[in-house]
Amino acid sequence: MITGYLFYMLAFLLILFSLGVLMHSSPLFSSLNLVGSMIVLSAMYYLLQVPFIAAVQLIVYAGAVMVLFVMVMMMFDLKHEIKIFSGGFISNAIKCGLAGFFAFTIGATAFMSTEMISGSAKVKTEVLSVKSMAQLLFKDYLIEFEVLGVILLLVAVGAVALSRIKGGTHAS
Amino acid sequence: MGSDLVEVLINSVKLVLIFLLMVQLVPILVWVERRGSAFIQNRYGPNRVGPFGLMQLLADAVKFVFKEEFVPGKGHKLIFYAAPVVALIPGALAFAAIPLANTFHLEPFMFLGESWGPYDINFQGYNVGIGIVFILGVSSLGAYALLLAGWGSANKYSLYGALRAVAQMISYELALGLSIVGAILVYNTFDFHSIIAQQAGALSFTISGRELGIPFLPNWGIFYQPLGAFLFLVAAFAETNRLPFDLPEAESELIAGFHTEYGGMKMLMFYLGEYGHMLVASALLVTFYFGGYQLPFVSHVMIEDMLKSFGLGINMANVLTAFLFFTVFMIKCLIFLWIYVWVRWTLPRFRYDQLMDLGWKTMLPWALANTIVTAVVVFLARI
Amino acid sequence: MEELVPIIALGGFVALFGTAIVVVTSLIGPKPKQNDVKDEAYECGIPGQFSGHSKVPVKYYLTAILFILFDIEIIFMYPWAVTFGDSITEGYGLQFLAAMGVFIFIFIFGLFWEVKSKALEWE
Repeated sequence: MITGYLFYMLAFLLILFSLGVLMHSSPLFSSLNLVGSMIVLSAMYYLLQVPFIAAVQLIVYAGAVMVLFVMVMMMFDLKHEIKIFSGGFISNAIKCGLAGFFAFTIGATAFMSTEMISGSAKVKTEVLSVKSMAQLLFKDYLIEFEVLGVILLLVAVGAVALSRIKGGTHAS
Repeated sequence: MGSDLVEVLINSVKLVLIFLLMVQLVPILVWVERRGSAFIQNRYGPNRVGPFGLMQLLADAVKFVFKEEFVPGKGHKLIFYAAPVVALIPGALAFAAIPLANTFHLEPFMFLGESWGPYDINFQGYNVGIGIVFILGVSSLGAYALLLAGWGSANKYSLYGALRAVAQMISYELALGLSIVGAILVYNTFDFHSIIAQQAGALSFTISGRELGIPFLPNWGIFYQPLGAFLFLVAAFAETNRLPFDLPEAESELIAGFHTEYGGMKMLMFYLGEYGHMLVASALLVTFYFGGYQLPFVSHVMIEDMLKSFGLGINMANVLTAFLFFTVFMIKCLIFLWIYVWVRWTLPRFRYDQLMDLGWKTMLPWALANTIVTAVVVFLARI
Repeated sequence: MEELVPIIALGGFVALFGTAIVVVTSLIGPKPKQNDVKDEAYECGIPGQFSGHSKVPVKYYLTAILFILFDIEIIFMYPWAVTFGDSITEGYGLQFLAAMGVFIFIFIFGLFWEVKSKALEWE
């Protein structure tokens, strides 16, 4: 029962933060609301009984990726861009049209798929412990794990190369 | 939070008390810092307000409360006010996850005419099964307080100070996380209680089936992971922006860094957050490498039996043992906090590029080497 | 998972504590009198020499991206470290060690390349 209350409260907070991401005109406030939604997502992972994934979500997403986003948003003075993007008839029409399209898509999907509402969906009930996760990573999917390391290396190379296009790290 | 009313009550009071413990430690720490720095610099510290100057911070806090409420003109009000509040939260959440004493058992007792059942009271705010990973996650949220403070002040130098402070913080989070991997390799678990339990007794380890031991040394983590402990200590210094790594908030650099425009109680809340992080780092160091709340060579069962033989009831003996171990833990933490103060007034400050070079080019490779060597040694020893 | 309730409760309590302090001090202290000089950014007392945004060096961005990458690699080491002892007793310790060894080698190679290419030179 407590889990039920917790879930509804966290879901409400998540919807609130996501709406905040969409509706602020300044990208910095959108990023801060996204941080809030990442933290609430971590709490929901905890409710799903995978505490390790919840902590990893906090460390990597809320603590590294979103710090990058917020840092970058703070570096720029975007008043001119904000003014161009909000207001005006065409931009408002595009926004309302897109929102309506998404709402229609979601509604139609929910209306046409009746299996999900029956409530007897089979949820995997095996407990995902850290040990079984380690077995999966290092025994069953070993090649994929090593490829992941190489992909991370590629991202590092790409980021450094991108930053050097217009004069490099010593251009300030 | 508990099955019946008394347990819920005990757990809530425990949470509030642990947070207030962190808050109350700050005046004591500031007094230790000011008197300690005066002692190191061969002068008197504050010694007029109250006995030995102990009421100095109380007087300062009262003065702060009456300061004028100030928001910089172009600053964003909500973010400017939110930043000190956000600075408090990660330290408090992390400190409540660390066990401060052993779990003790309460037999059924009478209270208000009813018998309340047997309880197992855990001297910890909450016991998250994944221990250290949770603390790392929550500590990495501390970067947001700096960013919000720097941006909400609408001061270019505050923003630069905040960006540099965040860059320093995230660089040393890598070394912090990696130095813990060595300790986890040795202890095979994330949970704090089993890490502390594995540090009981005298130093002994098994190599290829044979058991070696040194009977006069306690089985503490520092003897298994000396390099890891040192790396953790240095990374903790850099995480909490303490000297020798406090360039982002030093007085002659970038004015005062990210908290230039703050005054009064909001500034005090930033200090609360910083000392809270120091306390969490000391508590983690004690838990991983110095035996946690245990006295060396003594287990809590021995002390409970000794107290019971003096004629005390079971409940009273258990509670007294827990408080004894809590005192031991706090004494160990205070020793490390004194080391923080000592290092601050001894070493000169690093330049920013020296600091970043140290984080990326020195500490990260050494932490990796520590991990590799520990893994190979564990593998060879347990074959 | 009922350990979430104390975490949320403590977080809410600390936020309330901080907010209460801020509200109480704003009520007790003297009211701010608007003043043009007070509103300016503090620059060691020199009246507004530098204003507006100047360019922020791209090193901060690079530091944050490299931090994300190495943080992800460290996160992979945590489940490995916890199950390493069990894997030795269950017989496939060498495979675990070799798997992580290759990964750490890729990590070291990335770190070495990044240092050699002077991506993080702070002058």
